[in-house]
Amino acid sequence: MKRILPPVILVLLALLPLLGLSSYWMHIFILVIMWAVIGMAWNLLGGYCGQVSFGHAAFFGVGAYTAGILYNKAGLSGWWGLPLSIVAVTASALVIGFICLRLRGPFFALGTLAMGVILRVTTENLRSLTEGDLGIMIRERTWTEKTWYFYIILSIAASTYFVVRKVIESKLGYYFVAIREDQDAAESLGINTTFYKNIALCLSAVITGIAGAFYTNYMGYIDPKVVFALHDISIVTIMVVMVGGVATFWGPAVGAVIMVLLAELIRSIPKLGAAHHTLFGILLIVIIIFLPNGIVGDLPKLRKIFRLGRTS
Amino acid sequence: MTSSQIEVLLQTLISGLLLGGLYALIGIGMTLIMGVMKIINLAHGELMMVGMYVAFVLFSSFHVDPYLSVFVAVPVLFILGVLLQKFLINPVLKVEAIIPENQVILTVGIGMVLANVATIIFTSDYKSTPVEYATKAWYLSDIWKETPIELSLSMPWSVSFLLAIIITVLLWFFLTKTDMGKSIRATAQDKDAALLMGVNVERLRVFTFGLGSALVGAAGCLLLPIYYLYPDLGGQFTLIAFVITILGGLGSTVGAIIGGIILGIFESLTSTYVGMGWAPVGRFVIFVAALIFFPGGIVAILKRKRFGK
Amino acid sequence: MRLVLVKTVLAALCISTLLVTAVFAEDFSLTIPLPLTGKQAKFGEMMKRSYEMAAEEINAKGGIKKKRLLLSFEDSGAKPETARAIVEKLIDTKKQPIIVGEYTSACAKAVAAVAEERKTPYLIVASADDDITRQNYKYVFRQNQVNAHYADSIMDFLQKIVKPKTVAILFESSAFGTSGAEAMEKDAQKIGMKVLLKEKYEAGSVDFKPLLSKVKAAQPDVIYMVSYVMDASLLMKQIKELRIDAKLFAGGAAGFAIPEFIDNAKDAAEYAITATLWTPQLKYPGAKEYADKYKKKYGDFPSYHGASAYSALFVMKDALERAKDWSTDGIRTAMKATNLTTAFGPVKFQDKEGYQNQNFADTYVLQVIKEEHETIWPERYASKKYIYPIPTWRNRKG
Repeated sequence: MKRILPPVILVLLALLPLLGLSSYWMHIFILVIMWAVIGMAWNLLGGYCGQVSFGHAAFFGVGAYTAGILYNKAGLSGWWGLPLSIVAVTASALVIGFICLRLRGPFFALGTLAMGVILRVTTENLRSLTEGDLGIMIRERTWTEKTWYFYIILSIAASTYFVVRKVIESKLGYYFVAIREDQDAAESLGINTTFYKNIALCLSAVITGIAGAFYTNYMGYIDPKVVFALHDISIVTIMVVMVGGVATFWGPAVGAVIMVLLAELIRSIPKLGAAHHTLFGILLIVIIIFLPNGIVGDLPKLRKIFRLGRTS
Repeated sequence: MTSSQIEVLLQTLISGLLLGGLYALIGIGMTLIMGVMKIINLAHGELMMVGMYVAFVLFSSFHVDPYLSVFVAVPVLFILGVLLQKFLINPVLKVEAIIPENQVILTVGIGMVLANVATIIFTSDYKSTPVEYATKAWYLSDIWKETPIELSLSMPWSVSFLLAIIITVLLWFFLTKTDMGKSIRATAQDKDAALLMGVNVERLRVFTFGLGSALVGAAGCLLLPIYYLYPDLGGQFTLIAFVITILGGLGSTVGAIIGGIILGIFESLTSTYVGMGWAPVGRFVIFVAALIFFPGGIVAILKRKRFGK
Repeated sequence: MRLVLVKTVLAALCISTLLVTAVFAEDFSLTIPLPLTGKQAKFGEMMKRSYEMAAEEINAKGGIKKKRLLLSFEDSGAKPETARAIVEKLIDTKKQPIIVGEYTSACAKAVAAVAEERKTPYLIVASADDDITRQNYKYVFRQNQVNAHYADSIMDFLQKIVKPKTVAILFESSAFGTSGAEAMEKDAQKIGMKVLLKEKYEAGSVDFKPLLSKVKAAQPDVIYMVSYVMDASLLMKQIKELRIDAKLFAGGAAGFAIPEFIDNAKDAAEYAITATLWTPQLKYPGAKEYADKYKKKYGDFPSYHGASAYSALFVMKDALERAKDWSTDGIRTAMKATNLTTAFGPVKFQDKEGYQNQNFADTYVLQVIKEEHETIWPERYASKKYIYPIPTWRNRKG
């Protein structure tokens, strides 16, 4: 049962566009899947390896800008950004890792947060390369229809899921969890923690960067404040994973559904105006108080609550 | 150096120092909270925003000077902090979770609600308290007629700076002289040892969060006369508070003051000599440098020196 | 008891809908995407109020082709992907044949791309970035002037009256600030004014004094600032404090043109001039009425953002009434032929200077005189005579 679930879900998702969904719903699904990808990437580093990053916008932004600069300066299609962002993002991940991975716990979190801001301001200031605050606009988007974008992000998501699963079920995953549980103990067992933390960081960063490059091609416009956003990218990423379920395979997907779909539904409640933030904020607070390991992580607890509700 | 260059340099240093004092007060609340609880509070700036709205309401309805509203904002924010900690944060800290940082979502949620409620009550319009002394300043040329250079010292900035220093000194006395203060410091240094010594950690956390919120609320009141106010202003000040916390060393008031002043001066110098567009980069570069090269912050360096003797 | 209450409410609702339907056979519902949360919410709020006022007036005069204009708003939070989601929904599920709204340039770019792809006319109200109407888009119309021309009147004023030799440009780090500063740099070269300093700052900064003391040392004739919102008033306050005596302090619209600028900076704002796209003192039909009504209701005069939003609905109404059918292409053709004088000024969508469907409106210069924004330039629009030269800080009272 558990084994066939992923392919079944994949097939179901792949059939979605055939339903003739409106462009609006396709947009929402594309965003959900994109956030699921970013969430899975973050989960690899934060959930399994225990290195909570507050700066994933740095990788998202570098990926997005790789695509944007290739289009804007080299005259290539923005889609080249997908493969080429791997190089740029790995390089930046190695630098950030070199600086931040020696820090632990909340200090690592703050270090990565700072790197995200540093990259944003640097991008704003490097006018000749990045167009600075004016941003980069892709004049002709490849397709008007969303079907192809949907399949591209879906295949990115499927590969990400596959990679994360393979990594976590291998020896590598075992080392990651060992580092999360007790870094000193892992060290004394002869695990080269710095090396494995770097691997987790690079993998996580590369996937996030690919999502960023996809974003450029899909949205057709990027500027530093959008793609290097601390709140709208870095922190939303953390929330996607935490709300869904840390260190679970399906948590990020569930989290993405909540953070994008539910947020969108709440936002669209007529007459609510600006107050939708309050409602959503309260929802987040409630989730985390009652399900501190996220929805998927605390599934047994959820089940228990519902069962109790039925008997009483 | 020509006289105009000297003037620019001195004026830059003055503004850096004044800015630093304010930064310190914004950071102190966070350094206490982070020191005692090791949690990342992303609602810090929003708490300051609440303090500023308290001052604003008092000013616009009762013409209370923003500086005097410190006396109202501090208890209000203290109670708000206590309630937040008791009913929202403590329950989350208590449960076992895979990643302890799940409290971050909580503080983000709290921040969202606070900012949004402020928008609903006060609309998103920009508010300010146009006090009479807003642009008053003392000038060197008024005192010394034939001065070759002109320097100015803003009155509200200086008052805010002085009040910030006074509040910090009071806090320092509290932390070193009273039992409660001593337990806070002990818990910040070593939670388990403090537990063994019979400190009621849960009560202490509630108190610390209240105190931290009250301090940042006070900072909001001091900032209001020289700045302005709208519901979404919290974010950037949260970041500044992080920088000071790390620069000064977790849980240290002295560190926060020195850290704040260093940051203020450093930022001003970057603005003048590199370009204001780069100032945020400067801020975070020293932040990262502090994280890596001076873990424990300025306090740790000071201590090391003392032990060296 | 409760049931009775519900029944009365329901009955009241029925009656009210009946009453309305007695006048209007149908509704035309228009949803407007806006930032209602986040840093830009203030402008979203102002535009929302103005749209509501316009809709009220349109309905009071019989609606659009006997249809009641029914407005609703969706919050984009100034996030491009949310703005896009809203617009996709409007086009797809609500089949709305025309899009009006948004504020930030980033969001407007996202919306414009969708509108063009889906062949739905989009009327931009207050997004200034030059690029948006330089994409050869057929369906994107812009009512407000482009950023490159914001300072046209200021330049005219400088050239004719002030004749400055040097300028220092300060701008906030955003698309608006950057393109505004660049336009000024180009204009300055044209009239032989030397740019001594061009500096960027992060919006929301607390302390501008280091930057300003550098400006002071450079001694420019004019300080030109492109700032959003309250940065403008902080800049002026700190300029006063440092007693920087330039011949003139000029702002590039936005932050300098809103009433909060004077409310906050008080006497420090005195004599500062600013570019603007609209002022309540203009003699366009409805301009004064709109401004007075707004002030009565919300306590302050609206800035050009509000006026543009207010007039946009009349531009839309005009196009809808002329359109041969309410298909997207029918409306587009009608929009293209627009020639209407609104409270915001004349609106006419032209293709020139590389822009498409752009309304090249006049810009104006305001000066703060006795703590009020007064129109001073072009002279034919002036509500008060300009004050120049301005007194030095030391010689001002207070």
